[in-house]
Order: sequence, then C-alpha cells, then structure tokens
Amino acid sequence: MSVTPAARPAQWRPPGLTLGVTGAGLIALLVAAALFAPLLASHDPTVPTGLPFEPPSGAHPLGTNDVGEDLWAQLLYGTRISLVIALVSALVAVTIGLAVALVAGYYRGKVETVSMRIVDLALAFPFLVLVIVLAAFLGRGLLTTIVVIGAVIWARPARVLRSQVLEARESGHVVAARAMGASGPRIMGRHILPRVAPLTAAQFVRAANVSVLLEASLAFLGLGDPTRVSWGTILHFANARNAFLTDAWRWWALPPGLALTVAVVGFAFLGYAVEERADPRLTRGARRPVRPAARPPEVVDRGPGEPALKVRDLTVQYATGNSPMTAVEKVSLTVPRGRIVGLVGESGSGKTTLAMALLGLTRPPARVVSGDVRVAGRDVGRARPSLLATLRGREVALIPQSAMNALNPAYPAHRQIAEAAALTRAGPHAAARATELLELVGIPRPRHRAFPHELSGGMRQRVVIAMALANNPSLLVADEPVTGLDVVTQARIVELLLGLRERFGMAMLLISHDLPLTATVADDVLVMYAGRVVEQGPTSRVTTAPAHPYTRQLLQASPRLHGPHAPLAGIEGEMPDPFDPPPGCRFHPRCPDAFDRCRGADPPLLDLGDGQRAACLLYDS
Amino acid sequence: MNAPLLEMRDVGKTYTKRARATARDVRAVDGVWMRVEAGEVVGLVGSSGAGKSTLGRLILGLERPDRGAVVLDGVDLTSLGGRALRAARRRMHLVLQDPYDSLHPGMRVREVVAEPLAIAGVRRAQRRAQAASALEEADLTPASAFLARFPHQLSGGQRQRVAIARAIVSQPRLIVADEPTSMLDASLRAGILALLLGLRDRFGTAFVFITHDLALARYVADRIAVMHEGRIVELGETERLLATPRHPYTRTLLDASERVRLG
Amino acid sequence: MARRALRAVAQYGAVLFAAVCLNFALPRLAPGDVIDYLFPPEQSGAITAEQRAAVLDEFGLDQPVPVQFQRYLAGLARGDLLLSVRYGRPVRDLLAERIGWTFLLVGSALVVSTVLGTVLGYRSAWRRGTPGDAGILSTAMLVDSMPPFFVGMLLLLLFSVELGWLPTFGAQPTTTTTGAAFLVEVGKRLLLPFATLTLASIGPVYLVARSALVSELGEDYILMAEAKGLSPRQVRRHAERNALLPVSTIALIELGTLVGGAAVVETVFSYPGLGRLIYESVLARDYPVLQGAFLLLAAGVILANLVNDLLYPVLDPRVRR
Repeated sequence: MSVTPAARPAQWRPPGLTLGVTGAGLIALLVAAALFAPLLASHDPTVPTGLPFEPPSGAHPLGTNDVGEDLWAQLLYGTRISLVIALVSALVAVTIGLAVALVAGYYRGKVETVSMRIVDLALAFPFLVLVIVLAAFLGRGLLTTIVVIGAVIWARPARVLRSQVLEARESGHVVAARAMGASGPRIMGRHILPRVAPLTAAQFVRAANVSVLLEASLAFLGLGDPTRVSWGTILHFANARNAFLTDAWRWWALPPGLALTVAVVGFAFLGYAVEERADPRLTRGARRPVRPAARPPEVVDRGPGEPALKVRDLTVQYATGNSPMTAVEKVSLTVPRGRIVGLVGESGSGKTTLAMALLGLTRPPARVVSGDVRVAGRDVGRARPSLLATLRGREVALIPQSAMNALNPAYPAHRQIAEAAALTRAGPHAAARATELLELVGIPRPRHRAFPHELSGGMRQRVVIAMALANNPSLLVADEPVTGLDVVTQARIVELLLGLRERFGMAMLLISHDLPLTATVADDVLVMYAGRVVEQGPTSRVTTAPAHPYTRQLLQASPRLHGPHAPLAGIEGEMPDPFDPPPGCRFHPRCPDAFDRCRGADPPLLDLGDGQRAACLLYDS
Repeated sequence: MNAPLLEMRDVGKTYTKRARATARDVRAVDGVWMRVEAGEVVGLVGSSGAGKSTLGRLILGLERPDRGAVVLDGVDLTSLGGRALRAARRRMHLVLQDPYDSLHPGMRVREVVAEPLAIAGVRRAQRRAQAASALEEADLTPASAFLARFPHQLSGGQRQRVAIARAIVSQPRLIVADEPTSMLDASLRAGILALLLGLRDRFGTAFVFITHDLALARYVADRIAVMHEGRIVELGETERLLATPRHPYTRTLLDASERVRLG
Repeated sequence: MARRALRAVAQYGAVLFAAVCLNFALPRLAPGDVIDYLFPPEQSGAITAEQRAAVLDEFGLDQPVPVQFQRYLAGLARGDLLLSVRYGRPVRDLLAERIGWTFLLVGSALVVSTVLGTVLGYRSAWRRGTPGDAGILSTAMLVDSMPPFFVGMLLLLLFSVELGWLPTFGAQPTTTTTGAAFLVEVGKRLLLPFATLTLASIGPVYLVARSALVSELGEDYILMAEAKGLSPRQVRRHAERNALLPVSTIALIELGTLVGGAAVVETVFSYPGLGRLIYESVLARDYPVLQGAFLLLAAGVILANLVNDLLYPVLDPRVRR
C-alpha cells in the first residue's frame, strides 16, 4: 500500500531575476534619455526660450521655469549630469574600497588593523552631513562633487569586501597558491579578485544608488554645480522659487522627483539581483516548519515484538529538471527494539536522503514518492507531515552530522537540552532532566552552561546526543555521528552509544560511510549503493563473509592496524550518475565478478540464509 | 651520513587567544624536533588540535615560527625574506584535505596544474607539456581529455588527483599531505594512496603525511611521529611504534584506533 | 569584557578626535583666506587693515598652525564654538536651541522604522516563496527609492497645502499653549517630517531583516531545532533572535542616514532643528555654525556607534570573551 504522494511544492523562483531585469530596463531607459538628450530636447536648457511659468504645451512639454527655461530639456540634460556623477563617484568609491579590502584582507597584521580603523572612522560619520560640509568648504563643481561623494562612501564597500577577501584567503586554492610561492599581487589578482568580483559588482550598484541620492540632496540644498543642472538642482529651484504655492509644481518638481525615483529604484532592483547571484544562500528553497498535529497517529501494531522502526519500499525522488532523480529506491529495513542497525553507504548512496525521510524532514526539491514507514508501531508513511512532526523529538530523535552547526550559537547547552525536554515535561523538570542528561553523557558540571563555541567538537557531539535522549525516544537516528572527530573522541562516543543501548534498551539506526566503524557498533548492517540496499545481515556474517562484491571491496579498502601488510584495494571507476544509472545491476560496471546477465537484469535481494541477503546475480541459482 | 632533507629544530608557534579579561597564549607548536630524509614518508598523527596542521604550515613556510629553525636542504627558511623564501617554497608542495576547495573554480585544469610553473617563470608551451605529463602521472589519462575542463566538471576523486598533479608538476623534494583522503570515499582511498607512494618510488619525493587515522599512517609511512598538544611525544619506525608504543598518549591513540577499526 | 569596552572607547575616541581635526582643517583647506571664512566679505562689507590685524590677533590666525590647533582645542574644551556670523550669537547657544527638535524627530523615526521594518521584514522572510512576497519586496524597494525630500514635498503638498490639515512650518505653536494642547500642536508639526523620515528609513531595515532571517532559516541548527520536535513558533524564535544581529547593525547605519536626511527634511518642512540650521548656514556662508553643527552631529553618531559596539556581545555570545 503506498502513501499519497506529497503535494507538489509551489513553483518558486527567486524574485531576483524579475527585479534584475526590471532594474536593468529602467537604468537603460535613463541612459538612453541621457545619450539622446540633444535629439529629444528641442531647446537649450540654459537659455530662456519661453515666458516664465508657462504650463506644458507642444513647444515646451513640461512648461518653463521662473525664468522661462524649458523644463523638458533641463530634465533630459539633467539626466546626464545625475547619472555621470552617480556612476563615476560609485566607481571611485568601489575602486578605493576594493583596493583597501584587498590589501587589508590579504596582508593582515598592522596594515589591516590600521585600515580597518580608518574604515570604521569613515563609516561612523553621517554621510550626508559630511558631504555637505566638505562641499561647502571645497566649493562647488562637478569634479569636486564626484570626489567628495566618492571619498565619503568608499568605506562601506571596503568593509563588506574585506570580509569576503578574508574568507577567500583561507580557501584551499589560495593556501595552495601561497604554498607554491606565489607573490601577493598574483594571488590577489588571479585568485581572490575573481572570487570577490560578484560582490564588488553588487557594491558598485549600491554605491551608485547612494550617490544618486547624495548628489540630489546636495544639489537640492544648493551645493551643486551651478553651471550644470542636475535633477536635484531643478528641485532646488522649484523649492526656492515657491513652485509649490502654485500649480507649477506639477510640471516643475514632479518630473525630476520621479526621475530620481526611477533611477534609485532601478539601481536598487539591479543591486538586489546582482547580490542574490553573489550569495547563493538567499535562493535556497523555502521550507516552512510544520505544526505538530494535536494527536499522534494511531498505533497500528502494538506488540512486544513490534520493531522500533519498520520501513517498507521507501522511495524518495528529487524533482530536478525534466526527469526526477531517484535518490532512494524501494528501500526496506527494520530496526528491532534494543538493536543497533548500521546503514553504510558512500557519498551518493542516498543514505542522508533516507535519514531525512525517516524524520519527515525532506526538503524540496526532494519528496517521498511511495513507501511505508512505521515508527514504534505508528504508521507515519501514510501520515501527513504534521503527524510526523508529533513524533520528532519524542519517539524518534536525530543525532545529526556535524554537531558544530546543530546547536544555536546564541544559547547555552543546558538551555537547548531543556528546551527539548520541555516537550514532555513541565519547566523545572525539564531543567533537571537537562542536567541529568549532561551528566549521563559525561560533561562536567561547570561546562553545562557553556555556549556551543566554548565546547570542543567531541563535547558538542555529546550535547547533541543528550538532546536526542531528552524524551526517551524509542529510536535514535544517528547520521554520521562521529565523522570529523578525531579517533580518540570517536572511540569515546562509540562507547557512549553502546552504553546507552545497555542501559535503556534504545534502538538505533546508525548511518555512516565508514564500514569498519559501523561494524564495531552495529548488530546488523545494511550496505547501500546508488540508492539501493545491496547487502544486509548480521554484522559478524557480513564482515567475515561478505556476499556482495561491493561489500567485499569496501572491506578491503580500509587499512588494518595489525596483521600482515596487505595492499589496499580500491574500487575501479566512479559512482554512477544518478540521472543516468547503468542498465541492470547498478554496480556491474565496477564489479570484478560481473558477467553478461548483470547488464540485463536488476537483481533483487536474495536470501542467503542466516539472515544474510545480497542483491547479486551470483547467487541467483 | 647524508644531511636530512628537512629538519625542524625546536620549532615553536604561539597564537594569542583572547579569553575573558586576559589573553591566553595557545602554544600550537611547542618545541618540535623532527627530521625527514629524502624519499621518506613520515606520518604525523594526533588528535585534532594537536598542532599537526600548524606544523604543516610551518614546514611550508606559510607561517613563521616564533622560535626555532626550519631547515630545508641545509638552508634555514626562517632566515629568508620575501622573495628568497618564496623561491625556497617552490621546492615543497601541498595537497589539502578538501578537493572541492583546493582548486580555483574559475581556472581550467591545465591552468591549475601549471600554476607552479607559471610562478617559476616557465614558458607557456613548456608549461602545457609538463602539465599534461603531470596529469598522466596522476592517472588522469588521457591528459588531453582533462586539460580544458573546469573543476566543477570533475568528481571528488578526480579533483584530488588534479591537486596531486599540481603538487608534483615542478618535481618538489617534499610534499606535505594534510588528510588527503579523509574527504574521499573509502573506495577511492586506495587509488590515491597508491599514487602517492608511486610518486615516492619514482621521483624520490619525501612526504609528510598528516592524518588522525593511525591505520592509514601505518599503511603509508616509514616512520610515524605522534603529536600531542603541540609536541612530538613519540617518533619511531612504524611497525615498532605500533607493536610497542612507549609514550602513554601513543598507547591511548592505539587503543582508540583499535576500538573503531576491525582488527 | 572590560578590556573590550576600553578598546571600543579608545577607538571611538580616536574617531572623535579625527572629527575634531577635520573640523579644524576644513576652513584652512578651503580656497581663499581664513579671514574670509570668518568674515565673508559679502556679509559684512570690506574690512579695514586695522580691523583685519585685530581679528588676526584675536583668533591667533597669525600664529603657526600647531599653536592655532592648541587654541582651538582649548576653546573646544571650554565649550567655545565661536560666534555665528549670521546671528552674532554664540554657536553653542544656537545649537542648544535646535538640537532638541532634531533629537525628537530623528529618535522617533529611528525607533519606529527599526521596529516596523524588523516586524515586516521577518514576516516577509517567513512568507518567502509566496507570490505576494515579490510584490511586497518591490513595494518596499520602491518606497525606499523615493528621495526623502521628494517624499517630504509630496506629503507637504498633500496634507498642508491641498488639504490644510497640518501646519506647514515650525515645531511648536506660535501662540502660547500649555499642557496637552501644547503636545498636540507639537505633534501636528512633527507628524509629516517624522512620517517622511520613517518612510525613508524603513526600507533598508526591512530588507536587511528579511535577508537576515532567510539566512538564519537556512542554517543547520534550525533544521536541528525542527528535528528536536519544536513547534514552528519556537523554531522561529531561534532564528529571529540570531537575525537581530545584522538588524542592529543596519539600525545603526540608518541613524547616520537619518541624521543626514534630517538636514534635508527639516528644510522642506521648515522645522527648526539642526538640519535646517545647517541648510541656512550653508546658504549664508555661516561657517562657524556649520563647523559646530558638524562636530555635534558627528559626536552624537559616534556615541551611538560606541553604545552599539558595547551591546553587541549581549546579542552575540560568540563575541563575549
């Protein structure tokens, strides 16, 4: 019986594209107006060509100002000035900012400290006030305005770009380049610059945005170049000549104001789009957490022998491009009460997708297509996500990969555990439980209230384990719980997990890429390859008498500490392309024992006796 | 007796960590003495935070030690300045842990592999030929199929081979390999290790192989140095060290490794 | 903690000192004679040689620069900010009269725009992916893009000139009123400039709050919080708390922008604050006032930065050392 597929997530496109195109279009429009001003305007903007305060007419589309100058022409020629000032000062600002960021971020040390102090200095001053004061003292003029604005706003790009330079500096290829003896300029130019280029572009657009407004404000206050009319200047005269007391404001003040708005909107939209491209995190699929249902799902089978987890024919697909990619295909597994089951798979085997599906945390574009999942007798395969949510943290708990990121850096360890425990207990009891758990996993009392960043990797992992145990789950799903930790810590955590099973009879599904490690912990083991289970059985059997060629080779791929110095075996070839899997048995292209039938038929899991099963045609009699 | 290829004499490096109102000094590397002979593979093992990576960086000249000397081929690197130091650095290379991060995403494979040559001023035609042959040495054949590709078009294992090709293209005397297989699948591990050992056999390149996996160190290293809290607590020939560890920390490491590995 | 505080104070003290130096240097950098800056010829007519010598002596302008700087600093310490050329009164008094109004205006606009921007930004982040989101985002950007003085002018036109609901200038009633009536009158005059500045400032806060929350929602610890079984509200609280960090930073930057914006907005509404004073002084070439106002504003913003710096560890424990 299969579950109704999850509702297709609404097609979501990041707004950046639409906004970017719109923004670019608006700016293009303004640039065109600026370039073709002589063609579009029929009069000279600086010479009176009509009567004062003429309303709009054929000869003067926007009427005239108080001395009879054509306002339409002024608007068009003003576009040139405003845009030139905006773009050039933005260029100046970003160039200075980038240079400072590169030098400070790369050379570090004293250079960085001093530069950053100057940057902070420049950022602390209110821009407009500084611009006004500088302009007031240094006089008016196009060049002065550009220099003044550029000299004031370079600090923000410097700050932003510097953090990116710092990040880029620590990336592997930069370290490698330094190790190779590459010189500073070479590294900055060939390695770091390309990486910060997208963000630089975004900063340029932002700076242009700020410039336009700064110049307009400056001109509005009468500090612009009197010989070159910009939008702000037009508004200045409109205000000074009291255009607002008559109807004249409609054609005098409104057009330049709108033009300014169009320019700023255009730059803002464009900037947003460019920034979205530079920072991929902003486009990750939207996921809204699900509210747990009022009552947990009905218990279907309840008996003493009821396994903690029973999965039947689970299939999970990723909806990408035209054809969906099957990450997990018809996987079945059982975790009996009080047993530890290991799920072993390398990258691309689908094991993490499976773990997420078991907890109902499948994110789009992935979705569960079919299958049956029962946790502690409760049928969640058929359940809505909200029912699954009731079980999370209570019946089934997750110990995630990389505990470093699993904890909120802002709250102390104790509080985060208490929060989990509060799902099934009242306040004070939850706090007491948290303390109890922390002691159970071996964290000394003084460290209970520490923040995550103050704890070592091993300790953080213990905190996460404690969090998982908070509500006495019947099933623990541990996704690579010790990867990334050093071997001494690994051994300790392994002992801890086994101890938990001893004390509480907890069932555990241990997911890992490390077969030897899993074998030291698990009672039964399943080996996954390309989304399928290829072998399963009691650990002792599978490790001493592996049936599937993949399992066999995997075992030979790990070095031994003692015993004869056997050469390590690798596995030829690469993981199959999930979008274009090989016909027949998925492993056959890399299998040393493959024969003709392997290409044609996809082997099911065949029973080999003693609880061992393998999906290999070698055993198909 | 020949002079060693690399010698670390009482090398120390301290970082200042600001904690609460006082600044605490963390001795990342605290008085290390070590020698690496030409063509030898020395395994550097220890827990995370023991200072292995820092030591690696000190060897390569990426950081300056606060005290002590790093002597390569008889020349004290700590006494060299900018340009001379960079020139000396070219005799050593580096293979990093993360194959996704260690290659510039915007550079084609041929540029990546040829970069050390470009820095040394080798002409373009010559560079391409040497890059191709380095790729072949790294078992990326035919080289012509890979030269024009970008890193994102390669798999993790292939990328690591490109990184290795880059490391050997100018025939360095010493390569520091910092956990080169820990981010790769187990099935790819053997290939990479065989490659590295093959290079040692063919070109006499010495290796400092940093890893926290003692079994792995056993597989590749002639000698093993055990590091703990910035110091080398034991250094000895591989089999001897594993059979009869002397320092308690070595014993701890061995016990833990046995716990998580199959016999 | 104390060490960090000391460092922050020292750093901002240096910034303030730089502002002081800049203040000192500016008139001397301007083209023309320093005398002309103090007594612009257009203002008070040509001055005689004796008067010139007397002024030079009085202000020590014939002394070497370091000595001048010393006198300047001494004067500052005394609170002496020279005399306004236009009004003939001490600059200090002028500033004192006006600062209250600007503080009221900028303060209220900052608080409201920050709170409102954050609330709306968070809501927007939460509803990300819905068709409405792009619409709200564009509207926010549109409103943000209109130049503050333009918005001000439009509001003034609409509410004061056309509809006549609100007064067109001033900050307090010209006739004597007290108590509640006084507050109402002040409120009426404050409303439009306040609205203008708030509208101008809400955009950036909204955008930052939105992207900050979106960023946090993508972090692993949020996934973990969900896996722990927390309700959506609890998960949200985790993310929102951490998203406050960038929001506090942008709020601070907005303060600087608002102070600048006040200069322009007060001009449009003839609101007697520091901003308008600056505008008038620019037109009247009243440089001593400009200098004094600039210094005062810079000091205010620097102080705000310092406060934010000291409060940062409260929000981000990782910095707490």
